Amino acid sequence: MAAIAAPDPHSTRAPSTRGFRATLVYQTLLIVGIFALWEALVRLEILPVYLYGQPSGIFAKGRTLLVEGDLARDFGATAFASILGFVIGTSLGSAAGLLLWLSQTAAAVLRPIIVAVNGVPKIALAPLIVVWVGVGLGAKVAIAASLTFIVALIAVYQGTQEVDEDLVKLMRSLGAKPMTIWRKVIVPGSTPWILSTMRLNIGFAMIGAVVGEYISSKMGLGYLIYNAGALYDLNTVFVGIFSLMALALVLDAVLGHIEARFKW
Amino acid sequence: MVNTSTREVVLEANHVSLVFNAGTPKEVVAFRNISFELRQGEILAIVGPSGCGKSTLFNVIAGLLRPTSGSVRVDGALVDGASGHVGYMLQKDLLLPWRSVLDNVMLGLEVRGVDPKDARERALSLILRYGLDGFESAMPRALSGGMRQRVAFMRTLALNPKAILLDEPFSALDFQRRLNLQGDVKRIIREQHKAAILVTHDIGEAIAMADRVVVLSQRPGTIKAIHTIELGDETDPGALRRSAAFNEYFDVIWSELDALVETVAA
Repeated sequence: MAAIAAPDPHSTRAPSTRGFRATLVYQTLLIVGIFALWEALVRLEILPVYLYGQPSGIFAKGRTLLVEGDLARDFGATAFASILGFVIGTSLGSAAGLLLWLSQTAAAVLRPIIVAVNGVPKIALAPLIVVWVGVGLGAKVAIAASLTFIVALIAVYQGTQEVDEDLVKLMRSLGAKPMTIWRKVIVPGSTPWILSTMRLNIGFAMIGAVVGEYISSKMGLGYLIYNAGALYDLNTVFVGIFSLMALALVLDAVLGHIEARFKW
Repeated sequence: MVNTSTREVVLEANHVSLVFNAGTPKEVVAFRNISFELRQGEILAIVGPSGCGKSTLFNVIAGLLRPTSGSVRVDGALVDGASGHVGYMLQKDLLLPWRSVLDNVMLGLEVRGVDPKDARERALSLILRYGLDGFESAMPRALSGGMRQRVAFMRTLALNPKAILLDEPFSALDFQRRLNLQGDVKRIIREQHKAAILVTHDIGEAIAMADRVVVLSQRPGTIKAIHTIELGDETDPGALRRSAAFNEYFDVIWSELDALVETVAA
């Protein structure tokens, strides 16, 4: 029957409650096991603590940073820069990708440029961005936005091309103008790609924000990690890394909910 | 059988030919010199071996492809580009998966800029009348293939086209559903006083549904024969297919197509 150019809406099966619980138990065991092994190896002096840190030290450090408020500040700064960069880059990139459908000429002209820009590691643009927008929040957001923009542009344009050509033909046979086809078929037909791009882009936005913090910032998890690393304070480095993981999980969960709402 | 010879001509093909890459070494003649007329209330089936240009001819009639020579007229007006002058239905139902049954049926009316209230009313009355009652807010993925095709057919009818083009719309359905839907579509086309062109490779389907069957030759497609089908008033698809008259038509058309295939093989 109809090959609808959209991912199978049933592909993300919700696990059963029982399966979910078992998964949760295994996940906890796995994490606890890794930390126990790590702690033991350090305590038995098989791993040197100055190179690998130590779970008990990481927890103690994390607690101190939390109590003193530094962690919340850094976490908030990175989260804010990531989300802002993500929203700006993903929305502009998605819009540009959708609009490119309207002009084959524009798409053809821009294709090599987009490929070239995409090929450049965006980190290489960081010094330029710092020169243009200065240090601090602006640079972080700009790096995150530029990373996510190009990813969204390419993925969403690809999405518009994957919309069933016969749907476009049907609309034409109904007498629809290109703008109407765009609005009624291309935009809604591309939403699965926009949503999966959002999933990807959360990761890219965090890369952008952290790189921005490495280069030019006085706060944020990237700044925390970079500084602690320079001082061989590995426990603090791990606090930063685990905080980034937590941020990634939270943002991914939020997007998961948004995505679920758009399934048809 | 409906006597249609005195009725108004709805669609007319005059010496239509289509040549791809004309004048180059890669020139391919899809079909040549196709002429026929379709009258109100009539169903005309076009059968032919695969690759005879059936679907290409379909696209020309729909206005999606421009013929190299000749013309297609609907209601006397020259078909020039796709403008929604004819409704069409394909093997794929092409329902928009993010729209409910009702919104899918309304799609064409929406594109035409019909007042949403009127569009809704018209779509609903078709849905209620033709067996989709209670499914108007269902999403396409919840429907069977046969029901999806029904929705596609309602979408076509909603625009009230004079002529409907059917391009193998039943070929993806299982046998039972196919027979039922063939019968329903035929009945509805009659009830609504439409005219239809059915492109198919299924000889039985052509005979069961059509008033006339046009047999196309292998590429380049030309009209090899036109049969007028007279089967009486039998509506039960099973009984129809067991009747002597049905089988006679079947044998004649079958041997014509068979001969065409052998000619190519030789």
